[in-house]
Amino acid sequence: MQQQRPFKQIDVFTATPYRGNPLAVVLDGTGLSTETMQEFTNWTNLSEATFLLPPTAEGRAAGADYRVRIFCPGRELPFAGHPTLGSCHAWLQAGGQPQVAGKVVQECGVGLVTLRRDGDRLAFAAPPLIKGGPLAEDDVALIARGLGVDRSDILHHAWCDNGPNWRGVMLRSSEQVLALQPDASILGKLDVGVVGPRGKVGVVGSTDTDGIAFEVRAFFPGNNGLTEDPVTGSLNAALAQWLIGAGLAPAQYVAAQGTCLGRAGRVFVEKEGGTIWIGGSSVTCVSGEVLL
Amino acid sequence: MHQRPFKQIDVFSDRPGYGNPVAVVLDADGLRDSDMRRFAAWTNLSETTFLVPPTEAGHAAGADYRLRIFSPSGELPFAGHPTLGTCHAWLQAGNTPRQSGMVIQECALGLVRIAQADDTLAFAAPPLKRSAPSPALLPLIASALGLRPQQILGAQLLDNGPVWLGLLLDSADTVLGLQPDHARLKDLGQDVGVIHVGPAASNTAQPGVVVRAFAAPMGNPEDPVTGTLNASLAEWLIADGLAPRSYLVAQGECLGRAGRVHIRQDDDHQIWVGGRAVTCVEGKVLL
Repeated sequence: MQQQRPFKQIDVFTATPYRGNPLAVVLDGTGLSTETMQEFTNWTNLSEATFLLPPTAEGRAAGADYRVRIFCPGRELPFAGHPTLGSCHAWLQAGGQPQVAGKVVQECGVGLVTLRRDGDRLAFAAPPLIKGGPLAEDDVALIARGLGVDRSDILHHAWCDNGPNWRGVMLRSSEQVLALQPDASILGKLDVGVVGPRGKVGVVGSTDTDGIAFEVRAFFPGNNGLTEDPVTGSLNAALAQWLIGAGLAPAQYVAAQGTCLGRAGRVFVEKEGGTIWIGGSSVTCVSGEVLL
Repeated sequence: MHQRPFKQIDVFSDRPGYGNPVAVVLDADGLRDSDMRRFAAWTNLSETTFLVPPTEAGHAAGADYRLRIFSPSGELPFAGHPTLGTCHAWLQAGNTPRQSGMVIQECALGLVRIAQADDTLAFAAPPLKRSAPSPALLPLIASALGLRPQQILGAQLLDNGPVWLGLLLDSADTVLGLQPDHARLKDLGQDVGVIHVGPAASNTAQPGVVVRAFAAPMGNPEDPVTGTLNASLAEWLIADGLAPRSYLVAQGECLGRAGRVHIRQDDDHQIWVGGRAVTCVEGKVLL
């Protein structure tokens, strides 16, 4: 039987409403079938919708504060970055009390994910890379053609596969990243992440006057051809692992994403010991109830 | 920015999640155009609407409210499912029209009448301009849809604001079996609506007509349920005697939806496009 359930639509990776990546959150998904969750997700037309649930018994015993199921149109995801930050924000805002102060433990398809609270920001620990290392030269040449840049403009490249199959390339400058007009017929089915320095070219750790080190863009094959994602947790996590590991980025930096889409996503990266934290603000834009 | 009343309504369905959604900001007074555009891009729905008081001229002409309609890429002069969804939201919020049973909406196109009957709302179809499609275009479209020439019983370029190429097809199975090459349709730059009118279409107890809307050029490969397309298809087919004066359309089945569009031509030859609506999300929006 359908009932009113608490609902929020959250903007993630921004403190300014409508400048980040939106997420629909059903705060009480108890009793909903997988099919209903999938149908509602498709209906929202957002990149992801999430459903909060009490943790499983094993999850709670292992420290989980809540459980979340994450859906994109067409399928369920074991983990995703911006839905994790947005769901945690919604859970805390609705009065959720973590078992341990200062951190929140989320149970989801991949298992337990720890979130750190940094003032009004939340950060998740970047999941391990499934595949890293340089891309095949054929791929790099193809990506250069698809992005419409010279092969020599791709200064560095790496696999950034942490579930989503990102291929990462670094261009000479953020201006070059912002000017890209990729060709879907060449990029085809590739998920491509592009990064360029906003600071002084060639100086690791330099930033622009706003303190931002990199401009990021994410292209993937959507259901109407090539799609650009506004702000992408998984890509930024994999980029951070690659760039920090390769000495191309400092241990702490801020990346901007979504600029060409009129967004102003801000991703806060920090390496602490062996963990890379991917953080951002969230802001609740819609709050009310959903009939589900 | 402040909290404003907000609803997300499912249109052309009475079952939540089975129609076409529209986001409605019920009090958009004071919002700038740029705020509306940004919010409509953010919701990512095919349309987001903003209710504002009618203009002086609109009020004098009988308007109950004024509506601004935005797609993620910009403002639209008129659109069907947002009109019905917003009217539903406006009535549900406790408003009553100045003329009983008839709501008058002011939008960029002008004044649009919405008739209230039982639990169904119907908008008066805007005037249609139509013409034969270019003989060069038709075979290209047919090929992108995977259609053989003999499956196409009629074709007409339909313009009631949005421009659709309407194709009357030979069977419901043909309509439901189409797997269009959306990339090619996008390159051809033509939105296409396909329809089959079944033999029992005049019995409106069950859907006897099936419609699909392909709009890759607008960034929407298949629209779940489409008010303006159903309006222009009805004006064409009823005028040419290819459909009865009243019929019930099913649309959205291939997307897992169950849209129902009620078509009716009244004694003044005005065509009404109607459907039910259900409020799925209700609350506040920070705008």
